[in-house]
Amino acid sequence: MASYRQRLERDLDDWIGRGLVPAESRVAILESIGEGRRPDAATALAIIGGLLAGVAVIAFVAANWGEIPRIARFVLVLGAFLGAAGGAAWASARGRTVTGHVLLSVAALVFAAAIGLTGQIFDIAGEPQAALRAAGLAAALLALAGRSPWPAAVGLVLLALGDFQDGPRLGADEPRLPGWLAVAAPLGMGLALAWRSQALAHVAGIAAILAVPTFGELFRNEAGQLFLGASVVLGAAAAAARFLRDRFEAPAGVLYGWLAWGALFWFGGSGFDGDLKGVGHSITWLAMSAGVVALGRQDRHALVTAAGVVGLLAAGASLLFNLGVGLMTSAAVFGAAALVALGVAWAMRGRTRA
Amino acid sequence: MRVPGVPVRILAAASVLALGLVGLVVREGMARANGQEVVLPITGYDPRELLTGHYVQFQIRSEYPGGAPCPPGHDAATPGDGWVALTRRGDHHEATGAAASQAAALKLGEVAVRGGMECHARPAPEATWVMLHLGVDRLHADQTQAEAIQELLRAPAGGAGRGYAIISVGADGRARLKGLAAGGRRVDLLWF
Repeated sequence: MASYRQRLERDLDDWIGRGLVPAESRVAILESIGEGRRPDAATALAIIGGLLAGVAVIAFVAANWGEIPRIARFVLVLGAFLGAAGGAAWASARGRTVTGHVLLSVAALVFAAAIGLTGQIFDIAGEPQAALRAAGLAAALLALAGRSPWPAAVGLVLLALGDFQDGPRLGADEPRLPGWLAVAAPLGMGLALAWRSQALAHVAGIAAILAVPTFGELFRNEAGQLFLGASVVLGAAAAAARFLRDRFEAPAGVLYGWLAWGALFWFGGSGFDGDLKGVGHSITWLAMSAGVVALGRQDRHALVTAAGVVGLLAAGASLLFNLGVGLMTSAAVFGAAALVALGVAWAMRGRTRA
Repeated sequence: MRVPGVPVRILAAASVLALGLVGLVVREGMARANGQEVVLPITGYDPRELLTGHYVQFQIRSEYPGGAPCPPGHDAATPGDGWVALTRRGDHHEATGAAASQAAALKLGEVAVRGGMECHARPAPEATWVMLHLGVDRLHADQTQAEAIQELLRAPAGGAGRGYAIISVGADGRARLKGLAAGGRRVDLLWF
């Protein structure tokens, strides 16, 4: 889906060509819309370089593990963290936003490594889940301090890893709570919109989908209802994100895509539960997927269209299974469907080239 | 009040996090130094797993003649929320019971430590094994040191290990590793 900026760039070039707008106004008009610029190839390489530098520091400490005294190892790890964070502050003070984001992300990653390495250096035993969550919270703190979306994305990834680690065993009387993603994913989505960050929107959207199974302990014997409820909530959120695209542009579009994926995915998942399983569920899933494909085409949103197409295939398979059709018939139906899809794709490609 | 700028906020957040990490190390070091020291027999449970990277992996395990009964309450303590009672026997400590609470565990032994117990009672000629899960199962060391400890710790086939874990039991009941002793040699966790 083309963003407002891309559409405006196209239109501006057209208007300048027709003499409707002076060429020298192009830059000023584009700057006036305030949409975040996309990093170019050099910036992307700088980002990768910055992240690799963080990994290099950790690898250096690990490679010289035996030779470096314990306290020196700890000082090195802390120094790497403070150096990255200090660099981010320096870059931010000089208006080098991208460099600041990269260094703050490196600081978040180094701090996550520092927690693990400190545990090793001083043989401090602890739960991996607690370590990952602490690292996630640290990344979130750095993100909020620097108004930086990338460390926030790092934090969400760490919190997700923490949610899927085995935690301490709970006693019979202790409350069963959902994972931290249940709170972190919506907050991440809000920050992605507020900071106009597509990267954070991607991670937060995926985190919202992954947050659903963390409610498993609360709905132990009601997985179908949980997934159905999640589908409704994610569907409503997708509709809200679609509505917000005019105001928040690309990040809202990204969220719209992932939330549509989540709504269809968890609706499909609800059909594997005994209560909801059946032909009716498969037909509903099929109809929803077809609707999502139509919506995706209308909105020119590839991620939404893809969710619908995959949903159609999965719902079709589920329908065949629920109807009790034999494997050979299923193979023939899917083979024919694949041929039709490939044929249409071929024809569309030919038309585009023409 | 004026909100500080982004660079100041970044530096403040980084300082808080760094101080938090330093505080954790200091707190754990103090708890380790001030805790009650117990010495527990250890062994590696699989020679292939004994040395994984730069740490020595071990299991806290005592062995008794076949037919020996399991300590009381051995199935009452799960690693997450149980307590193990330890009592001195000669130059080391042994598990003499387990319970769901610290007070109950202290009735079964001299020291109560958070953790779980697993007991495999077997008839003679096999041995009865009592294994403790105290959250302490490895010592990070440089490779040369780790290999030397590995050689000393590795149990002969069917035999008991020849090492001891020196553990500090803090006021919070948590076990913290202080060092390992094997073959008359002791490795302590030091700052340097």
